[in-house]
Amino acid sequence: MQMKQISSIVFLFFTTLFFAQETKMTTAEITKFKSAVEKEAKTIKSIKTDFIQYKHLDFLSKDIETSGKMTFKSPNLLNWQYTSPYQYSIVFKNNKVYINDQGKKSTVDGKMFEKINKLIVGSVSGNMFDDKEFTISYFKTKEFYITKLVPKTSTIKKYIKEVELYFPINDSTVSQVKLIEPSNDYTKIVFKNKVINAKVDDSAFNN
Amino acid sequence: MQKWTIRLLIISFSVFLSSCKTYNVEGKKLEKGSSKTILNPYFSNENEDYVYKTQIEVYNNNLSGIFVAKKMNDTIHRVVFTTDFGNKLLDFEISETGFKVNYVVEGLDRKLILNTLEKDFKLLLKQSFKINEVFENNEYYIYKCNDEKRFNYVYKSKSDDKFVKIIQASKSKEKLTLKFDSYEGKIAENILILHHNIKLKITLNKLEN
Repeated sequence: MQMKQISSIVFLFFTTLFFAQETKMTTAEITKFKSAVEKEAKTIKSIKTDFIQYKHLDFLSKDIETSGKMTFKSPNLLNWQYTSPYQYSIVFKNNKVYINDQGKKSTVDGKMFEKINKLIVGSVSGNMFDDKEFTISYFKTKEFYITKLVPKTSTIKKYIKEVELYFPINDSTVSQVKLIEPSNDYTKIVFKNKVINAKVDDSAFNN
Repeated sequence: MQKWTIRLLIISFSVFLSSCKTYNVEGKKLEKGSSKTILNPYFSNENEDYVYKTQIEVYNNNLSGIFVAKKMNDTIHRVVFTTDFGNKLLDFEISETGFKVNYVVEGLDRKLILNTLEKDFKLLLKQSFKINEVFENNEYYIYKCNDEKRFNYVYKSKSDDKFVKIIQASKSKEKLTLKFDSYEGKIAENILILHHNIKLKITLNKLEN
């Protein structure tokens, strides 16, 4: 056998192996998985986590990396704070949005952010099994359960083609979110050092 | 009655005078009719991802996000503006003569906005300017370059030869100012885009990527 053939067989073997890793979950698995996530989500009073955000644009040679901290307190307080490479925080509180952009403060009274808020909270807790909003499919790999959500409404479809939520096998909350745009560019958010139900004061949401 | 007529006359005359005023560079003229060109060093490297934190102030509204520009080939730049969360708001392909909108988010899909941004980004990314006249003052060499009905005045500092400013003016007044801060003269760390006839200010601060 020629070298070229061998290498292409090796390549094929590895790619098959790699792609074969992601398989569809069975109906029984889905039911079990969903109830575990929903049960966990019900017990969530607060979430504190660090995150790294990777913005992928196909024409760039490198993803744009930003990072920070996120704090959530049930039912609807959320502080999403970028700390590197710049300071920017956005707080969702009482149906208002408070922005602190490197010291410059502003308030937005917007319905527009309601969906974003819901999406973020839903993404972190993983409780996004809303059949009205999304067509959901379920996959698993060695490391993760993956849910893929395709928006049903045309308003969301314009911005998002698909949302992928990654749940580590032994954890019922999300460790990674991928928001894929219609152009296939995407934003990937990886959560690290997540603490569920730590004590969080309301003052954490003053912006 | 007569008082008012006189007042009106004075006002309209002064308006007429000010509209006749021609835009003058602060500097003395050096030479005329040069065939040389001046190159903008910023956004000129095809291997570089130019990523900036952006603030847009428009009529007391603030927009924040990330501005990305990349030189794709000799003629085309790709420009993308996203929110801090990463949602894409604008995606353009820009050349000296072309402007292609790949994507624009619903709220920004207005002719006035797109036309304004097209002009701003075309000037920001313009790689070479054909020089028509040269001026100088204590600090700068100023290159006057004709641009259809307008004029671009490119400022280069005498002390370190840096490309620091472009003023775009009509015959009578300034329309648009672009200011560049650069440590080494190759990449602009801070950029200011300032409009003079509308309340629009865009600041770009380079992110280390």
